[in-house]
Amino acid sequence: MSIVWTLGVLAVIVALTPAITARLGRHSGWVLAAGYLAATATFLPAVKAALDGAPLEWTRPWIPGLGVELAFRADGIGVVFTLIALLVGAAVLAYSTGYLGAGRQLSFYWLMCTFTLAMTGLVLTDDLLVLFLCWEVTSLASFLLIARSGTTAEAPSMRTLLLTFLGGLTLLVAIAGIIVVTGTTRISEALTSAAWEGADPALVATIAVLVAVAAMTKSAQFPFHSWLPDAMAAATPVSAYLHAAAVVKAGVFLLIRFSPAFNDVPAWNGLLIVAGLVTTALGGWFALNQSDIKKLMAYSTVSQLGLITAAIGVGTEMAMVAAVLHVIAHALFKSGLFMMVGVIDHVAHTREVGRIPRLIGRAPASFAVVVVGCASMAGVPPMLGFVSKESVFTGLLDAPGAAWTGWAALIAGAAASILTFAYCAKLVFGSFVDGDAPQDDELGSQSPVMLVFAALPILASVPLAFMLPQLERLVVPAVTAALPGTAPEPHLALWHGLTPELAATTAIFAIGVVIIVARRRVWRFFGRAVLPFDGADVINAIESAFIRPAHALFRFTAPVRAARHVVPGLGLLAVVILAGVAAIVQGPGLPPLQEGLNRPIDAVLLVLITIAVAVACLAQSRMTAIVALSAVGILATVQIMSLGAPDVTLTQLLVEAMTIIIMMLVLQKLPRTFWKYPRRAQLKRGAFALLIGVSMGVATWALVGRRERSDLAMYYLEQAPEVSGGDNIVNTILVEFRALDTLGELTVLGMAGIAIVAVMSSVRDRYIDPPASDVPEVPRTPYVRLGHTAAQRAAFVAWPNVIPVQLTVRRLIPILVITSAIVFWRGHNEPGGGFIAALIGSAVIGLLYMSTTTDRAIGPPQAPVGLIGGGVLIAVLTGGVGLIFAGSFLEPLHGYFLGEHFTTSMLFDVGVYIAVLGLILISFNLLGTSDSAFTPAGDDVLVEGTMIRDVDDETTESTRERVDEMVYGEMSGPMDSVRGERPSWWRRTPDQRKRRRRAHTASMSRGRESEGNGS
Amino acid sequence: MILAVTVAVLVTGGVYLTLQRSMVRAVFGMTMISHAANFMLLASGVSAWRGEPLNGRTDVTLAADPLPQAFVLTAIVITLAITIFMLSTAVFGHDDDQYRLPETGEER
Repeated sequence: MSIVWTLGVLAVIVALTPAITARLGRHSGWVLAAGYLAATATFLPAVKAALDGAPLEWTRPWIPGLGVELAFRADGIGVVFTLIALLVGAAVLAYSTGYLGAGRQLSFYWLMCTFTLAMTGLVLTDDLLVLFLCWEVTSLASFLLIARSGTTAEAPSMRTLLLTFLGGLTLLVAIAGIIVVTGTTRISEALTSAAWEGADPALVATIAVLVAVAAMTKSAQFPFHSWLPDAMAAATPVSAYLHAAAVVKAGVFLLIRFSPAFNDVPAWNGLLIVAGLVTTALGGWFALNQSDIKKLMAYSTVSQLGLITAAIGVGTEMAMVAAVLHVIAHALFKSGLFMMVGVIDHVAHTREVGRIPRLIGRAPASFAVVVVGCASMAGVPPMLGFVSKESVFTGLLDAPGAAWTGWAALIAGAAASILTFAYCAKLVFGSFVDGDAPQDDELGSQSPVMLVFAALPILASVPLAFMLPQLERLVVPAVTAALPGTAPEPHLALWHGLTPELAATTAIFAIGVVIIVARRRVWRFFGRAVLPFDGADVINAIESAFIRPAHALFRFTAPVRAARHVVPGLGLLAVVILAGVAAIVQGPGLPPLQEGLNRPIDAVLLVLITIAVAVACLAQSRMTAIVALSAVGILATVQIMSLGAPDVTLTQLLVEAMTIIIMMLVLQKLPRTFWKYPRRAQLKRGAFALLIGVSMGVATWALVGRRERSDLAMYYLEQAPEVSGGDNIVNTILVEFRALDTLGELTVLGMAGIAIVAVMSSVRDRYIDPPASDVPEVPRTPYVRLGHTAAQRAAFVAWPNVIPVQLTVRRLIPILVITSAIVFWRGHNEPGGGFIAALIGSAVIGLLYMSTTTDRAIGPPQAPVGLIGGGVLIAVLTGGVGLIFAGSFLEPLHGYFLGEHFTTSMLFDVGVYIAVLGLILISFNLLGTSDSAFTPAGDDVLVEGTMIRDVDDETTESTRERVDEMVYGEMSGPMDSVRGERPSWWRRTPDQRKRRRRAHTASMSRGRESEGNGS
Repeated sequence: MILAVTVAVLVTGGVYLTLQRSMVRAVFGMTMISHAANFMLLASGVSAWRGEPLNGRTDVTLAADPLPQAFVLTAIVITLAITIFMLSTAVFGHDDDQYRLPETGEER
């Protein structure tokens, strides 16, 4: 249970973070850090069990069909990494309270907590698929954490995403391979499976290499190292956590986790040792190239992880002990040093060596902490880093292969450690000793919070160096888990006697001291010894190499002109259909058509539809085209009715009416006629259209009507009423048998509404309400020529016109509402249902819209979006109720209340109803705004040779304002908001919002008054 | 089979309109193509049986296939949503010429 508690606490923290940050802002870090400590406390039983060699386990079935379980198992490896993630995380979060700027910082805290949850899940899970999921979440979280740092972080975060997802892909393939070989998704079984013995060695090597590559991308091993320095764009606490405890450690974790299976695969050993040693050397070299101390630290991480990777590659008991020990040591000193970089940055306002003043006098405490941390990193005794680095050297000596490989590895590692020593010196001397004398007014203040929590991990590692036997208790179970069947006795100590490792360390120190003495020349040398390009350039080059050919494809698909997309697809389809039908008729022949497919009315409708389609296609006037189109719609409705589909008929009729009304709303803002085109072009289009039309007709003729009714049809006709308790089979199919389809449809409907709002708020004002000068117009004559007679004017003044409508509406609305309710209610047994009822209800909206004298939005401004969201939510929740109580998503529950039969599918229908209302409201409110420009379409009339508008500018809202109000609530005018930004008074809770808005409006009107007085 | 000819007429008109420069015309075209697709779907239920699929109202031996009807209902709703969305994009700049794009201020 301990594991569940830990993960549960972390999940609760993630869930509560928005609420906590809303209240505490950047100080939320305290609460969250306390939460991490609580999670650690709940984890202690698991730690104890793991140290005793009996790891705790917890499983729940998840996807039984695939044998996937939510399986967790806290073995030695998991315990070490969990403790690192939680404890370092707590320190980082506490540090963040001092580092971050004032404000809510929700995205930072939320992502960090999600990150920790994913990381903990990753290291504790015992299921391959859960492992993969957590792996990807850590990738995503690190991407977002980097990306949230603004525009400079965009490119680095994309590169990070590319590289880490590349690793995700190889891991996925590797996991598939492991499942294929071992037949289980349980990690503890798969890795120790006997199936590896019999498997094809090439396959095993491939899987091993794929896992290794995945880990190398995560832990930034050459050639995938470049994302880590890129990640410097992120805030310092993020870097500290990423580098010390989370992402890069996930890579190392993966290597250790999979060691049981691949430790004896030569490809695994070779790849890891070589890549690790190359990385450690390159990382050290690049670190010395840097003058930015944060970048220096980043490359130092690359270098240190190289050592760990190489040690894991060696894979002997001692090497594994060294790897685990160095993971712990590195987590402590690196997280602390990173946070110290933040402290230095805050004090000196720069991270450039050479520009940082001599801080030793001003920040002696910081100096001491950095020196201790660097001593640990450089492996100076008696630090923990010394012990771990010594043991890494011991491990490297065991490198497999010829006798000389061990020595070669040791020498390579030692050479890299000289670089480590040198960049540690650069950090210490560059930021504390070598700078110019500081000017008081240039220095920032030192936050004690930051200093304390940066120092904490570094100082914690000092006593640990003297508690090696206790530390051994933690390390040994991890090694046993990584190398099953071993019981290492590493005897960690500060003094091992005269050994080759000691000789190496001594040599490193000797050269290191020389470097310190001659440091200015050394820095200058490394300042010049840089490659002309870095990893980011390489990735960019690869990326653009991929993008260039894509641009060629882009040219075909990019145009928004429909024709470019329509012609190739439909043309190909026509060819396939015509050729295919011809082949079938020539070859096997078609089965005979059923008797009685045609009715006389079909022929009548065909003639009428043909006429209406021809008019709609050829009309120059938009109005004519719409009338013809509505004729097509009504005729189609009749055809559907004749086919015996009453529900569809009703729906089609109402949809047709609604569509035509909305088309009319749009029409008032558009030119009155279509543009004219050359006859030749139109003829070509017509010929192509005819080809497609004929092919579709042929397809219909050849493919349908040549069989009895299907078994499925008979099932629904015979069984559905009994199964569902409803007589209207079509409706029961919609809300019960295929309710998931309907849910999808409902979502599309809702999203269309949301998309309209989103698109409208992303378009610039001058396109959404264009000034007259921007609107192109076909030469035309006005609809009406007005003289000055009272009768003519009366016809074009709004208010007397709407009085009859208003009177009608008053009587009609109750009738419509009742009709709508009845149609809704009877849907289960007779034609009707939520959608049809909603369209009847929408008629109320339409009537209200038409009966107002001035142009105004119907209903509260934010209602439509809420209705859509609420509708979809109700439908989904209904589904959830079915899942919980009936065992299947959207499965309806039946019951009787007051003698009437009720099912939860009615609730589902309510969701449909509400969402449809929302969409229709959006359409009316956004598309129905008065024509804002002096366009000839719509309401403008010609009076004695000049065009005038009958819309009063003062009283109407622009479309822009309507859109903004849909998102933010009632506003005093469109100028309040900038495209895509929240108005200044916008707050999360309605209460706060109201208060802020009142203050805002008051200040606005005060401003206007003073302006008025001034003039 | 007359319905096949109706489908052909609607698709011809629909494709012709979709190829036009005017966005509104393209929307009209999509509407017609949707009608045609609905007829095709309904025809797949075999139009020899045209009884309303209501239990207790229509003899099962005469009733039409209810499944295509359910599909068509779903299709009609989605058509409505898409039509409204396309119409709202047609209105930008008070000009529905597809060859001219309103600027969004974003880099492409």
